[in-house]
Amino acid sequence: MNKSNTYIFIYSTVMVVVVAALLAMAATILKPYQEKNLEIAKKLEILHSVDRGWDAGSADNKNKFVESEYDKYIAKSFVLNPAGDTVADRDAFQVDAVDEMKKDSTQRVYPVFLCTKDDSSKNFIFPVRGKGLWGPIWGYVAIADDLNTITGVFFDHSGETPGLGAEINTRVFQKQFINMKIFNEAGTFTSVKILKNNEPKIPTHSVDAISGGTITSKGLEATIFDSMKNYLPFLKQQKK
Amino acid sequence: MSQLFNSRNLKLLTNPLNMENPITVQVLGICSALAVTVKMKPAFVMALSVTIVTAFSNLIISALRKGIPARIRIIVQLVVVAALVIIVDQLLRAFVYDVSKQLSVFVGLIITNCILMGRLEAFAMANKPWESFIDGIGNGLGYGWILIGVSFLRELFGSGAVFGYPIVEKLGLYAHGYVNNGAMIMPPMALILVGVIIWIQRSKNQKLIESK
Amino acid sequence: MENHLNLFIDTVFIHNMIFAYFLGMCSYLAVSKTVKTSIGLGIAVVFVMVITIPVNYLLEKYLLKEGSLTWLSPKLAEVDLSFLSFIIFIAVIAAIVQLVEMIVERFSPSLYNALGIFLPLIAVNCAVLGGALFMQQREFSNVLETVTFSFGSGLGWAVAIISLAAVREKIRYSNIPAPLRGLGITFILVGLMAFAFMGFMGFKL
Repeated sequence: MNKSNTYIFIYSTVMVVVVAALLAMAATILKPYQEKNLEIAKKLEILHSVDRGWDAGSADNKNKFVESEYDKYIAKSFVLNPAGDTVADRDAFQVDAVDEMKKDSTQRVYPVFLCTKDDSSKNFIFPVRGKGLWGPIWGYVAIADDLNTITGVFFDHSGETPGLGAEINTRVFQKQFINMKIFNEAGTFTSVKILKNNEPKIPTHSVDAISGGTITSKGLEATIFDSMKNYLPFLKQQKK
Repeated sequence: MSQLFNSRNLKLLTNPLNMENPITVQVLGICSALAVTVKMKPAFVMALSVTIVTAFSNLIISALRKGIPARIRIIVQLVVVAALVIIVDQLLRAFVYDVSKQLSVFVGLIITNCILMGRLEAFAMANKPWESFIDGIGNGLGYGWILIGVSFLRELFGSGAVFGYPIVEKLGLYAHGYVNNGAMIMPPMALILVGVIIWIQRSKNQKLIESK
Repeated sequence: MENHLNLFIDTVFIHNMIFAYFLGMCSYLAVSKTVKTSIGLGIAVVFVMVITIPVNYLLEKYLLKEGSLTWLSPKLAEVDLSFLSFIIFIAVIAAIVQLVEMIVERFSPSLYNALGIFLPLIAVNCAVLGGALFMQQREFSNVLETVTFSFGSGLGWAVAIISLAAVREKIRYSNIPAPLRGLGITFILVGLMAFAFMGFMGFKL
């Protein structure tokens, strides 16, 4: 079939326009659903760090379930500046850790979520984010109102090896962190170490690394340390 | 109706299941087949996505086949396939978010899935739309059942579950000493499993054996 | 510098395009019958990846990402063109492969004939598009990191195909059971090599 150049040109142009229009339409229509999914996923992660929301999958309406659980347990949230003071009119939930990392360290803000548990005790939930072996790892660390003891954690990743580094998002691994403390007896911030078998354990300050997932485990250790360090001014203020 | 599903069309559906299987015979679509078969659910979603994209891209290209300028043939095919994949990806992210996270880059890789380009060139460019659509479904199913088979074995022996249901635990096999087979979760196992499937298939069908 | 070296070794050996991600399998299995053609195809793939992935990185950074168009005008900060990523990436790859095809035909007609259909098929090689998609996911900080990643990915693919070709040449005269001959034994071979490559995991300088 002999097609002239004009025909090819018109054909290509029409094709590009039709495809672009179709895709733009699909993307625009579906965007609200996609953003909702991201929002629900984040709320679920925060809930998991205080040991809630595990049966969301079997709820009749997952979105409604997660939202009502979130509203029930996460009473308040606020945003801190590097000095530990609350910053007004910023929504903690909307703070994007990736964007903050790109800013100069004096310009960053840090979100904190306040949880009221079933026994009325208060927990502070701090987001953490850093690098694993293969990509970012992130999560939430929940601290009791003594501002020292960990009551729960949740971690996730975006490409660690299944069976190895990916294990950080299993409950078995995360349960280890319960009752670990982030300050030592002298009051210095030490965070929680993640140690291999041949390293001596530190009671209440260390958990086991993942066999075969050393780099991810050490990456997670650094992630928790570096992220929690940003909240030290806030923790010091609260202790008074 | 009987004309739509005559014997020739039925063959288009059944051939790819065995004698012309995309993965074990045509050697197409291997990449994504192996990577997403750790658990059954992502394998199932992937198989479904590939079937839909292959069927519809076959349909569209076949309908357009007389008008496509020869010089930009490959580009037109790529654009149609890419557009369909983008729509499928957007739908997955909107309605089955947790699965789309597990599939991650592999949804995009459907574009370069050799099965698609292979069927477009080998069939859709030379056949009518309805036949091409059926051919797409047939090849998608042939690809799909290999995925389901491999992922079934890997999930059962590697995680003790079937489609998320922890059957090994329920049958009390852990108590009897069964430990999850770590090798099954690892990527290389998928290759060996497909090799064994090929072995079994060719033992049953002497015609498929390669000559020396 | 050490970071880049680690990234390079990671990409070539640990998260090898073939053995860890299974990308680029079709042409991999088809072309690995002789070492000579494997070397030719391997080099071509490295070349295509080193050009296309950084180009796609720049497009992602300055055109496609959400808020990336702010250099044109601050009013465009809300624009998110990431849904066009697949199409733009594959278009760039197709164009560059067309270019590479013309260069190879001009400078080495023998290689052009040896590779035949597989040269244009690099455009739909999952490894090349996969590399671009992984780059998008991992958000590298600068072009040098991206180039290291691209070179490593391509080289990893090349190493994989050349070693497989070497083994296949050697077993050509072995007594393999008829149903396993050819494709079946190749799959098992690749699986075993993949297991072997896992031994590199955790390797750090």
